[in-house]
Amino acid sequence: MEFKTFVFYFLSAILVFAALRVITSRNPVHAALFLVLAFFTASGVWLLLQAEFLAMALVLVYVGAVMVLFLFVVMMLDINLDRLREGFWGYLPMGAIIALLMVGEMGLVLGGNYLGLFESSVRQAGADESNVQAIGRLMFTEYVYPFELASVILLVGIVAAVALTQREKRKNKSVNPSQQVFVKARDRVRVLQMPAEKRD
Amino acid sequence: MTLAEMQFQTPELRLASAEIFMLVMACLILMLDLFVKDRKRTVTFVATQLTLVGAAVVTFATTSGDIGYTFSNMYVGDLLGDVLKLLLYLTVIVVLFYSRGYILERPQMARGEYYALTLFATLGMMVMISANHFLTVYLGLELLSLSLYAMVAMNRDSVPATEAAMKYFVLGALASGLLLYGMSMIYGATGTLEITAVAERLYMGQVDRGILVFGLVFLVSGIAFKLGVVPFHMWIPDVYHGAPTAVTLFIATAPKLAAFAIVVRMLVNGLIVMAPDWQMMLILLSVLSMAIGNIAAIAQTNLKRMLAYSAISHMGFMLLGMVTGVANGDARFALNAYSSSMFYVVTYVLTSAGTFGMILLLARGGLESDELEDLKGLNKRSPWFAAMMMMMMFSMAGIPFFVGFFAKFSVLQAVVAAGYLWLALVAVFFSLIGCFYYLRVVKIMYFDQPTNSLPIIAPLDMKILMSANGLAVALLGIFPQALMSICAFALLRSL
Amino acid sequence: MLESYFPVFVFILVGIAFGFAPVLTGLIVAPHRPDSEKLSPYECGFEAFEDARMKFDVRYYLIAIIFILFDLEVAFLLPWATIFKEIANTDSVRWFGFIEMMVFIAILVVGYLYAWAKGALDWE
Repeated sequence: MEFKTFVFYFLSAILVFAALRVITSRNPVHAALFLVLAFFTASGVWLLLQAEFLAMALVLVYVGAVMVLFLFVVMMLDINLDRLREGFWGYLPMGAIIALLMVGEMGLVLGGNYLGLFESSVRQAGADESNVQAIGRLMFTEYVYPFELASVILLVGIVAAVALTQREKRKNKSVNPSQQVFVKARDRVRVLQMPAEKRD
Repeated sequence: MTLAEMQFQTPELRLASAEIFMLVMACLILMLDLFVKDRKRTVTFVATQLTLVGAAVVTFATTSGDIGYTFSNMYVGDLLGDVLKLLLYLTVIVVLFYSRGYILERPQMARGEYYALTLFATLGMMVMISANHFLTVYLGLELLSLSLYAMVAMNRDSVPATEAAMKYFVLGALASGLLLYGMSMIYGATGTLEITAVAERLYMGQVDRGILVFGLVFLVSGIAFKLGVVPFHMWIPDVYHGAPTAVTLFIATAPKLAAFAIVVRMLVNGLIVMAPDWQMMLILLSVLSMAIGNIAAIAQTNLKRMLAYSAISHMGFMLLGMVTGVANGDARFALNAYSSSMFYVVTYVLTSAGTFGMILLLARGGLESDELEDLKGLNKRSPWFAAMMMMMMFSMAGIPFFVGFFAKFSVLQAVVAAGYLWLALVAVFFSLIGCFYYLRVVKIMYFDQPTNSLPIIAPLDMKILMSANGLAVALLGIFPQALMSICAFALLRSL
Repeated sequence: MLESYFPVFVFILVGIAFGFAPVLTGLIVAPHRPDSEKLSPYECGFEAFEDARMKFDVRYYLIAIIFILFDLEVAFLLPWATIFKEIANTDSVRWFGFIEMMVFIAILVVGYLYAWAKGALDWE
């Protein structure tokens, strides 16, 4: 076995293990961290395919940013851990059967063709060509339309996130120091003149 | 390869001017709304409607009747696209008029974002309609879906709406995943994602069929999810029911046009060589949808839920037209079959807009009016609107001389012409079952005693629009030929 | 070629070793004499009375998601930066390649202005 093949299977094994732990671990924070591991090994697999820009983007965007979001969400929700996992074992047999069926079908269909896929018409990048530049050249010429659409999708993401989470100004009791130092005596004390009342 | 060697041609922007106009205006309206202090957002509303009218003008002005490609063949401008886009603008305009009163009574929704997201969703649908690249299809779909998820969840304090948004999002993401996986397999088999190029390579025939069929299964599953046909229909009832009715109206109408467009673009334009394979899959989806949609609708007591199952059955019926294009390697009937599907989807959108519009019209004072019970004795409260609703129901049931009848008839004609007599019989059988629950609505409106006798108060524009909608259903039933020939001509000039 | 990634591989190994080494050293070298007092949770002298996990404010999430969106924007800028010189030197795409990126940024600036005006970037 070639070293490259060995690395591929090694990374894939970790990837599958991490993905399984994401859905089986009892603690959502652990699940999120296993997802980090899964992303990380996936980026390793991409490096093996010499797609270094994508691998880098995966680490930067998914591991760096999306997972932070995931952890926030996990911590934001008030999760009752035991109740969350109750249904899991009940669904497992059905899920496992479907998963096995799908794997079997994929095996049947792809079976002999699997290796043929890599020799298909998909163009292989030259070995010494910079990946980032190759992507850049395509992205700024032929792929303008999808590229601009991507920015529109990001814009909708911003609008949706702000529209769904932004509340009106809440009433909090914090003080603003810059306003505080400008305070005048008359803002603090109001002297009222009241006629004396006789008490009986 | 350097940039100089790439022979890149600067795209011709004129073809895509409607999309560009829509994008610029959507951004401007988003900005404009920041300065609007008015709680009713009248300025934003008017600007949004004017944008849609403007887009229609731009589309109409740039239409040429020829097929033109731009953006390195990722965008296709043709008559089919232009016709569908014009219908799309019209639908969105009507939807916004119907929704106006409803969202004003819900302060969480009466915000500028609602209008901006509507425009972005419309832009997404336009992109889908004019897509000539699998990637563009996907991006348009995501733009549409993302806007819709946010719109469903917009009424933040409503628990059912949040739940519906969650279900919609999770299942929608799953469907996008399926679609992408299918596309990647097709890329693996053909080495391109450009729809016309995929078709060419398939004609050449040096393609690995196994991988292609494998990809096709996922592609069709993804489309089925978005269309909401059985067995990928689970989200439809929950989302239709849980979403604010104004958003349900939007989801139930305009996206159906775009979904039809991507079915034509991907399956007909791109994978017509694989027609025997995908037609088999679509037959299965179609029969199951008609069966489960019509039978489950009978058991519903909620009007929105009933209409959701009805939507499932209608989408199944629409797919019948798509499965009969190529019979035994003979594509003589293709045009006829696909244009019957298009006619079906257009008339369904028209009728569906009227039906959900009626629910919005009845919902007043911040209360919903979406139970079947709420329609009791509608005839006594407002004979005119009861008559309108009756026409919608008759049309949906396919009772002769309403537009729905001709839609069903033309699809069945195509099915029989392609030699699938049994399929036509199955379709007729389930349509007859479907008649039951549509007629039940009519019975409730006319023969039950009203539970409340409040008169129906609606703004004048909504009354006029609702009447126009109802009359369109009736008039198109008497003169269906014009719309049918528009559909046939658009497809003739585009395929 | 794949061999050119070798330094990256070595770097990752060193990085992992650098992370694990202090922890392992601590485990091996440090004395371990646990007792029940040492192992009990400590919270200002009280018995711990609630779960350490608590609800985060939704504003953290909002900041995080806005960060992700602009992070993605930067990921798109990177390929552009690497071929910027080439764009400038090629007649057919000189202005096209520039304007295209400006449009991309302009669309996101709309989102930025929107988030700013709505107060999503303020912490109050």
